Amino acid sequence: MMASLRQSDRSNTQGAQVKKAFIHLEPSGLPDHPADRVSAFLTAFEAILEYGNYRFLLDLYARITSRCGRCASACQVYQATGNEKDVPCYRTTLLLDIYRRHFSPGGLLGSLSAKNGKLTAAAIDEMVELFYRCTTCRRCTLECPLGVDHGLITHLGRYILSEAGIAPKGLIVSVREQLEGKTANTSAIPLPALLDNLEFLQDELLEMKGAAVTFPVDRAGAEYIFFPAVSDYLMEADTLMGNAVVLHAAGISWTIGSQYYDGINYGLFYNDWVLERVISRLVGEAQRLKAAKILVGECGHASRSAKHYVPAFSQNNALPVVSVLELTWQLIQAKRIQLDPTAVPERVTYHDPCNMARSGWIVEQPRRILGSFVKDFVEMTPNGARNYCCGGGGGLVSLDETHEFRMRVSGKTKAEQIRRTGADIVATPCANCKKQLRELVEYYQLPVQVVGVHDLVLRAIQI
Amino acid sequence: MPVVELKGIKVEVDEDGFIQEPDSWSEELAAAIALTEEVETLTEDHWKVIHYLRDYYQQFGIAPMIRKLCKDTGFQLKYIYELFPSGPAKGACKIAGLPKPTGCV
Repeated sequence: MMASLRQSDRSNTQGAQVKKAFIHLEPSGLPDHPADRVSAFLTAFEAILEYGNYRFLLDLYARITSRCGRCASACQVYQATGNEKDVPCYRTTLLLDIYRRHFSPGGLLGSLSAKNGKLTAAAIDEMVELFYRCTTCRRCTLECPLGVDHGLITHLGRYILSEAGIAPKGLIVSVREQLEGKTANTSAIPLPALLDNLEFLQDELLEMKGAAVTFPVDRAGAEYIFFPAVSDYLMEADTLMGNAVVLHAAGISWTIGSQYYDGINYGLFYNDWVLERVISRLVGEAQRLKAAKILVGECGHASRSAKHYVPAFSQNNALPVVSVLELTWQLIQAKRIQLDPTAVPERVTYHDPCNMARSGWIVEQPRRILGSFVKDFVEMTPNGARNYCCGGGGGLVSLDETHEFRMRVSGKTKAEQIRRTGADIVATPCANCKKQLRELVEYYQLPVQVVGVHDLVLRAIQI
Repeated sequence: MPVVELKGIKVEVDEDGFIQEPDSWSEELAAAIALTEEVETLTEDHWKVIHYLRDYYQQFGIAPMIRKLCKDTGFQLKYIYELFPSGPAKGACKIAGLPKPTGCV
């Protein structure tokens, strides 16, 4: 019955040729005619080059790339498929060829002779698929001898596509609600529901820990304003209780903003305008409540987007951005919270979210947090800045239609890594990774539980 | 949006089979959607979850927190997955006629 349902959906919608692709596209923005798609793509590319900062990067990459293919050895997607189209520099070359031919000085002649870079609707369809088969984990960047950031090219490719009207429906629907909807968040949680959830969590903490831990809302002048992935308010009760109990035990002043409470920024996955608008909502709420710092919950892309782009999009005096992992580790070091070393007897491993670990920003802190109370800690190999992606990065985990791909292709290496540790628990501080890893655990029947770092802190903290 | 016919009931659904108008939900429709979610028969425990989800949705406009669902129905998450193999956020919500969850859910 479901098969016939999907069939009828495809035949009923516009742009059927693209619609059958790897991801479900938002149909309203999709140019129907192939020639219009080409023209829309080139117009968008031109505008982004004119008004953005990407030209110097493309100039550089267009000169230096050699397609040596060393990136292939780093990519878990290529490792799983063996398909040359999944090699990071193959994908990057698609965009660079278009840039050379259409936008680089004197590039037209050279491209004509090489017969490369002529943009067709079929080439756009190929880019749609390949840019969304990449999880933007940027592991290949570590291997490229010339330092090409293939993840950034994927980001740019998706940005151009989205400005040409081609973007995943799963992301657009959420962003529309976040920026224009009544609830102002990607999971469409109305404020009364948020408050009901917070009251419920407070009751749970009282029952569990015997302490009156509060989730403060709209407390003006707090040191930290807290932005988790808003989906945590539906899915990750233990993580949020862990966050709150740490802040409570250490006597930190913090608040949640009632007008804006979502750390998620899908702009990082596909569109710089969205990225900037979401950041301005975040900063606006922090300013409304006169908070001194932005505290980001357990979420890889939310952490990276706030850490990098709050300064980038603030004129002056950008608010400092702190991850809950940084703060909790500081509080442990300062002995402001106490953790019971017998509370977690199971074997625990840690999965690094790419958006936190690839740059080296958050690698040591979570390990030291866990190391301070978990007796049996075991690493995956490789790990830290060289970790493998969970397979759901770059927004893929929010696109249900990619499930099969995430299980059989992009998440395969991670599932094998987890199995080899023999761990009972995988801790990871990212809403995206948690969802993907839970699906992998189910798919590969791995005997492990997937939790957040603060879920374990919650079990161990003494108050 | 496509219109599907489930057990003689015509209803508009999205590409993942979530009904578009929560008000068009009925128990007969729930039983029909259940068949698409590997749930052959709706038992008393299924209905307990379904009615809880609908009541919460009608009050708050969103599905409840998973932990709250477990606590208030008295069912462990593992058991809810046994009842609804595609899980509380997808299968159970779909059968209960809630909109498709968005964001990182």
